[in-house]
Amino acid sequence: MSGFFQATIYGLLQGGLLALVAVGFSLVWGVMNVVNLSHGAFVVLGAYLGWQLHSSLGLDPFLGMILVAAVLFCLGYAVQRLLINLVVNGPIFITLLLTFGLELLLVQGMNIVFTANYQSITTSYAGNAVIVGDIQLPLGRLLAFALAVVITVALVRVMSRTRVGMSIMATGMDRGAARLMGIRARHVYAVTFGLATALAGMAGTMVGVVDTFNPAAAGRFTLLSFVIAVLGGLGNMYGALVGGMLMGLVQAWGGYFLPGTWVNALAFLLLVVVLIFRPSGLVGKAFYSARLEV
Amino acid sequence: MSATPVLETRGLGIRFGGLKAVDDVDLQVPEGQTLGVIGPNGAGKSTFINLVTGHLRPTSGQVLVDGQDLTGAKPWVIAKARVARTFQIVKPFRGMTVRENVAVGVMYGPDGMTRMGPALHRADEVLEQVGLGAAAGRSPGELSVADARRLEFAKALALSPRLLLLDEVMAGLRPGEIEPSLQLIRDLKAQGMTIIVVEHVMKAILAVSDQVLVLNAGQRLMLGPPRDVLSDPTVIEAYLGHKYAARQAAAQAAQPTPSPSAGAAPTLPAASAGSEEVSPDA
Amino acid sequence: MAPTLSPAWRQRWPWAAGILAVAAAFGLQTQLYSGQVRTVGTIFMFVALALSWNLIGGYTGYASFGQVVFFGLGGYVTAALMTHAHWSFWLALPVSGLLAAGYGALIGIPLLRLRGHYFAVATLGVAEGTREIVTNLPDLTGGGGGITLPTVGAAASTKYLGNDGFYLVFLVLAALCLLVTALVSRSKFGFALRAIHQDEDAAAAVGINTTRTKVLTFALSGFLTGLVGATYAFQQVTIYPERLFDVELTVLMVVMVVIGGSGTVLGPILGAIGLQFLSEWLRQNYTTIHTLLLGAIIIAAVILLPQGLVNYLREARRNGDYSLLANVRRYRL
Repeated sequence: MSGFFQATIYGLLQGGLLALVAVGFSLVWGVMNVVNLSHGAFVVLGAYLGWQLHSSLGLDPFLGMILVAAVLFCLGYAVQRLLINLVVNGPIFITLLLTFGLELLLVQGMNIVFTANYQSITTSYAGNAVIVGDIQLPLGRLLAFALAVVITVALVRVMSRTRVGMSIMATGMDRGAARLMGIRARHVYAVTFGLATALAGMAGTMVGVVDTFNPAAAGRFTLLSFVIAVLGGLGNMYGALVGGMLMGLVQAWGGYFLPGTWVNALAFLLLVVVLIFRPSGLVGKAFYSARLEV
Repeated sequence: MSATPVLETRGLGIRFGGLKAVDDVDLQVPEGQTLGVIGPNGAGKSTFINLVTGHLRPTSGQVLVDGQDLTGAKPWVIAKARVARTFQIVKPFRGMTVRENVAVGVMYGPDGMTRMGPALHRADEVLEQVGLGAAAGRSPGELSVADARRLEFAKALALSPRLLLLDEVMAGLRPGEIEPSLQLIRDLKAQGMTIIVVEHVMKAILAVSDQVLVLNAGQRLMLGPPRDVLSDPTVIEAYLGHKYAARQAAAQAAQPTPSPSAGAAPTLPAASAGSEEVSPDA
Repeated sequence: MAPTLSPAWRQRWPWAAGILAVAAAFGLQTQLYSGQVRTVGTIFMFVALALSWNLIGGYTGYASFGQVVFFGLGGYVTAALMTHAHWSFWLALPVSGLLAAGYGALIGIPLLRLRGHYFAVATLGVAEGTREIVTNLPDLTGGGGGITLPTVGAAASTKYLGNDGFYLVFLVLAALCLLVTALVSRSKFGFALRAIHQDEDAAAAVGINTTRTKVLTFALSGFLTGLVGATYAFQQVTIYPERLFDVELTVLMVVMVVIGGSGTVLGPILGAIGLQFLSEWLRQNYTTIHTLLLGAIIIAAVILLPQGLVNYLREARRNGDYSLLANVRRYRL
């Protein structure tokens, strides 16, 4: 039984990190109705940047990730302001294609600069395990989980208590009305996207600590973000936390009980079922029920 | 002329969570009648239309068309039963010409014309009927508000309906544009069509309705002849609020004998002024 | 001002042009080297794929981002039938298409109730999930290690078609998709699809059974895509789930249709041919960074020409306004 318990704890720890991976994606989809197919690429980019900082400057990844966040915020802001804003009012597959093209760019760029080899950020302490009874809790994973949860909660506070956050929420609910009140939607959208990529980057750095990664992992992270965002409800940050944990558990239990990679099939089945029966997500109300486009 | 009402609803209702948007509405609309439906904003008028036409599924009650139970039937089934509607916010097919917009209904409605040539021809006939003959080749985006409303009319008439539900077709029209719409309704009425007119423009309600149904907070408040309904104190209170009704009652009490300047009994202002919309005070 | 044609000729000339183009494509084969035959055959494959996606994504407006599931199913059904049951390819081909269509109808019924992004994501989820299922049934599908179709010896029920043979099959499939698209676009059915795309509520209100129409179209597009997948599997001989269910294939289909002009007959064809040429040219001249450049080109094309080439030309000719910047202003925030 302790094996199952270990798997459960593992799943929860992983789930917290997955929540941080997905929360930016969920935010962008909820606020701007943009499905960012390059989201996973930003996660992997964050991992590579953290890795580079660690190997070149010896910067501890948990500190380096602040720098990574700053860099990726600027990149995300530019991408939204200069590219995505140009197609935001079009039919959905236009933005999907744009972000897909962006994904190709980023992944191939990383392939060229960093090669396709698997990397990981090895720190001296991450492998040490905190032992509680029969359960092993690797320090790296514990730290990652804790930070992910803290950041997500902080995000919620930022959204509800700061001017920036409220302008993002307002623009998400009713862009036309927000603009009439003086909110610069183009800027707000860019800030939102930058925030999302910054979060993705931080998550990516932490992923780099606990797992191996390479450019090809981008697609997997995007897909994971899809499922978690839908489970938690678009734009719902606590929902992303719940969705992430759920996903982590599904992966852990699935890996424990099911042979092969059936667990992935299960995850997708879950996604489709939720979309059919409760598209607004499993957790609470949807971010907003109606959307007005101006 | 059959005795079965063209439209009958029994205890029709829908609830969204805790909110009853339409609550236990009984109604019978005999053939050839024009029924006006009024009520303050949020009273459930459009929801009522959506329930009848299958765009919303009722959580209680029944909808019967010509005696046939069509409760919860899909919109296309309702359309094939010769029940047509217009949308409050016009919904043209933006990528097609005006003619093609109407032809879709001719092809897929109860007449089910399979050949495109005759369907387009019939579409032209319908467009003539509503006065859009000249615009047949244009794109809906080029139409004025009044013409866009006429297109909605035409799309509904393409189904050769027995029952026509008009959802605020007069909203936003200038006085000069209201009269042609009224004339169209009168012409259809003369052809024996059963029409339900949801409106805020009281002049229109008075002009064409045989009976008026008042909805308030999803419930049926009153059903009766137009003049009676529009001067009923509970209806006035529902529309204009408690304070206005109280003021009117006080004014009445202060004048024991009816004076010429006070005119008739208090009515909803637009009914006597004959101008535009009535909106309830806060 | 174009010369005015008599009404009968105006109706007929696109058909004549189509038949001429297909005939020319048949003749083209004799002029090409073997390697070129393969490349052009692949172009026809993408033309067929783009046209089949266009039916559900372009005309009906339901952007299926899991279309590759039909491709993969078609391929794997053929592989299984030919490898385990020793069927002839010619029998496995239509059966694969029909099974893919059946799958489309099955998943279409719940999924087509979703709109916009939800539908796109749900279909993507189904595609990925189906790939995982296929990967985890190694007895039937060879699993992650792949499956090899019999092409030599006694087990091979159909002789391998070779570059020339596959050229012809892909051409016929492309012509079939072209025929279906042309028939749909000019028919009463096409009106229903466009009506659903342009305003689904209004379409339902005038008597269109939107559920049945959507499911039928989805199944039809699945049928056509499945046929292509089946042929591809035979051509590749050994197939793997990651390749047959590659999400990039769906995106390629979408890009081709969007750039060419969605909801038109010519658009997907131009988009497929153009993108394939571009992709090949980039691959040969900029081998290391060709994918990077492809990504950049997709971004540029989507920003500058979001409605696609064919629609852009149509509107530009009507309005006399050829400016691309005006195009950008259309969808920008």
